[in-house]
Amino acid sequence: MSDLFLQVVVSGLLIGGVYALLSIGLTMIFGVVRIINFAHGEIMMLAMYLTFWLHTAYGIDPYLSLLVVAPVIFALGVAIQRLVIQPILEAPPLMKVFATVGLYIALQNLALMLFTADFRTIQTPYASASFRVGAISVSEPRLYAFLCAILLIVVLWAFLKFTLVGKALRAVAENRTVAALMGIKVTRLYLLAFGVGAAITGVAGTLLLPFSYVFPTIGSIYTLVAFVIVVLGGMGNMLGAFFGGLFIGLVESFSGTYISPAIKEAAYFVIFILVLLVRPQGLFGMGKGSEEVGLK
Amino acid sequence: MKRFAVVLLTVLMVGPVLFVTAVEAGAPIRIGALYPITGSLALLGEESWRGAEIARQFRNQKGGVAGRQIEYVRADVPDVNAAKSEAERLISRESMKLLIGTYSSSLSLAASEVSARQNVTYFELGGISDQITERGYKTIFRTCPKAQLFSKSQMSFIRDWVAPQIKKKPEEVRVSLVHEDSAYGSSIARNLEAEAKAGSVPLVSVIPYDSKAIDLSSVILRLKNDKPDVVVGVSYANDAILIGRQAKELGLDIRAFIGTGGGHSLSGFAEALGAGSDGVFNVDFTQYEVNTKFTPGLPEFVEAYKKTFNSGPRSGHSLANFMGATALFDILEKTGGDMDAAKFRTAALAYEAKLGTTATGWGVKFGENGQNTLAETFLTEWQNKRLVTVWPEGAAVAKPNLVRPFSK
Repeated sequence: MSDLFLQVVVSGLLIGGVYALLSIGLTMIFGVVRIINFAHGEIMMLAMYLTFWLHTAYGIDPYLSLLVVAPVIFALGVAIQRLVIQPILEAPPLMKVFATVGLYIALQNLALMLFTADFRTIQTPYASASFRVGAISVSEPRLYAFLCAILLIVVLWAFLKFTLVGKALRAVAENRTVAALMGIKVTRLYLLAFGVGAAITGVAGTLLLPFSYVFPTIGSIYTLVAFVIVVLGGMGNMLGAFFGGLFIGLVESFSGTYISPAIKEAAYFVIFILVLLVRPQGLFGMGKGSEEVGLK
Repeated sequence: MKRFAVVLLTVLMVGPVLFVTAVEAGAPIRIGALYPITGSLALLGEESWRGAEIARQFRNQKGGVAGRQIEYVRADVPDVNAAKSEAERLISRESMKLLIGTYSSSLSLAASEVSARQNVTYFELGGISDQITERGYKTIFRTCPKAQLFSKSQMSFIRDWVAPQIKKKPEEVRVSLVHEDSAYGSSIARNLEAEAKAGSVPLVSVIPYDSKAIDLSSVILRLKNDKPDVVVGVSYANDAILIGRQAKELGLDIRAFIGTGGGHSLSGFAEALGAGSDGVFNVDFTQYEVNTKFTPGLPEFVEAYKKTFNSGPRSGHSLANFMGATALFDILEKTGGDMDAAKFRTAALAYEAKLGTTATGWGVKFGENGQNTLAETFLTEWQNKRLVTVWPEGAAVAKPNLVRPFSK
C-alpha cells in the first residue's frame, strides 16, 4: 500500500514537471507582455509536430532535436509578438484576447489541414524503459523530461535574477512606463519575452513526445491545464507556476488512482474552484492587485 | 386524330417506362459508405473501408449486381455529429437508399438512427455495440458479431483455459476490466459484468478511462493495487499502446491480458511494444493467421488487398467488412438490385450461408432484429509479433501459450 502511495507521488511529480515548464512559458508571456495567450497550447503542438517530423524524416532523436526546436519556436514566438501583438499593444485588453483566440483557431485548423487529424507517435528504444528503485519504477523518458524541465527552470530563474537583460525583463514586468523612462527598450524586451516563453513551451512539447502523442487539437488540452496552473499559482508568478504544475500533476495522479481515471480533470477543477474561492489571488499571489506586479 | 391520340397516349405511358428501365439497367448501384477516415478513429476506419472496397472491386469484375456496377458514395465521419449530418446528407442530397459503415459503434448508432427514421437500410459491417440492432428498427442489419459475444468468449476462455493454467478454480480467478468510456468500451463492460456474474468469476475492479488521455499511469497503478490475475482490456489504437507501455514502465505483474479487438488487434500494437506484446490474448473478428480451410476466400482477399494498397492488411477489420459487403451484394442480387427497404428486408431475412463458407468463416442468418446469428468471434494471441488464432480448435493454427504480458 505504501509502495503504491510512493509510486503515485513519483508518477504525479514526473508529469507535473512538464506541466510546470509549460505553465512557466505562459506566465512569462503574461507577466511581461501582459497578454493572455490562448494560442499557448498550439505553440506546443507545433513544436511536437516539428519534433515528430525531424524524427520521422531524418531520424533525429527527440532530445537532440531540442537544438532545432527551441530556436525555431523562439523565432515563431518573436514573429507572433511582432506581427500579431505589437500592432495592438495599446488596444483594450479584450481586443488582445480576440487576437490570440483567433491565432489559436487559425493555427489549429492549419495543422488539421496540413497534418490531418491522425494521432502520431514516435518509436524510440527507451520509450517504455524504466529505472527501478525498490518497488518504485521511474519511466526513463518521463524522468528525462522532468530533469530537463527542472534544469531549464533553474537556468531561466538565474537568467532573470542575475543578468542585466533579466533584470530589465523584471523591470518591464513591474512597470512598463517607468522601465521605458529608465531607458529600457520595452518593445524589444517584449519580443524577447514572447520568444523565450514560446521556446520554453516548445521544449515542453518536445519532452512530452517520446511518451505521448500529438494530434492537431492536442493544444487545447494543454492550454487549459496551463491556465489552471498559472491562475492557481498566482498570475505572472514563476514560482507559483512551478509549484502549481507539480501540484496539478499530483492531483491528477492521486484522483486517477484512488478515485477513477475518468475523473482526473474534474478533480483538479474542483480544487481550482476551491482555491479561487478561498484565495482568489492564487496560492503564491501576494494579495489584491498583485497580478499587476507581475513576474517575480 | 384518334390514331394520333392513341400513339401519343402510348408514348406517354410506355415511354417513361422504357426510358427509366434503360437508365436503370446501365446505371451503377450507388451505396453510401460512412467511415471515419480522419481523426483519432481514422486508422481502423480506413482499414474497414478498404475491406468493403475490395469486395466492391471483386463484384464489379464479375459483372456487378444484376448487371449493374456498384459505386460507393463516401462520407468521412470523424465524430458523432459528422455521422448524423453526413447520413442526413447522403439520404436527402445524394438520395441514397442504402448505407454501409461504420467501424465505431458510437458513429454507427448516430448514423443508423438517422437512416432508420427515413426508412433507409443501414447495413453495419463492423460496429459491435449490442444496441445497434436492439432499438426495434426494421431497416438495420449487422453481419459482424455483437459485443455480448466478445464478453462471452472472454469469460469462457478465462474459466476453461486460464484458470486451470494458473492452478485456480474459476471462482478464485481475480479479473479486472479496463475500458475506454465511449459506447464501444461501455457496451463490453456491461456485458462482461453480466457474464462474470453468470459464470461466478469475481470481477475485482472495473476501471473506465478516456481514450484521448495523455497519461494513463493511474490506470496501471489502480491495477497494481487491485492485484488481478487476468486483465480484460477494451481500447482503441493509441490508448492500447499507452497502457502497454505504462504497464511495462510500472512493472505491472499479471498472469494474462485479454484484449477486445480494437487496438489490440493492430499490427501497430506489436510494432510499438515489440516483444512486450507477446502473450497478449485478444478476442476479435477473424484474423489472418487462421486455419484457411475454415475461411474460403481469405487468401484471395489478402492478395487483392496487397495489390490494391501496396501493403498487407493491418487488422481483421478489413476482412470483416469484406465479408459483410460480399453478403450485401449477394442479397442485392436477390432483389435484382432493388434497394427498397421492404424488399431488401425480405431478401435479407431469406438469405442464408453456412458456417465456414465465407472469408471470415462466419455464416449468415439474420434474426428478426437484423443481427447475424451465425457471426463468431475467435481468440488470438500475439506470439513473436504475429497475431495467431489459438481458440476454438477448428480455426486455430497454434496453441495458446501463457506468457506474462508486457514483461519483455
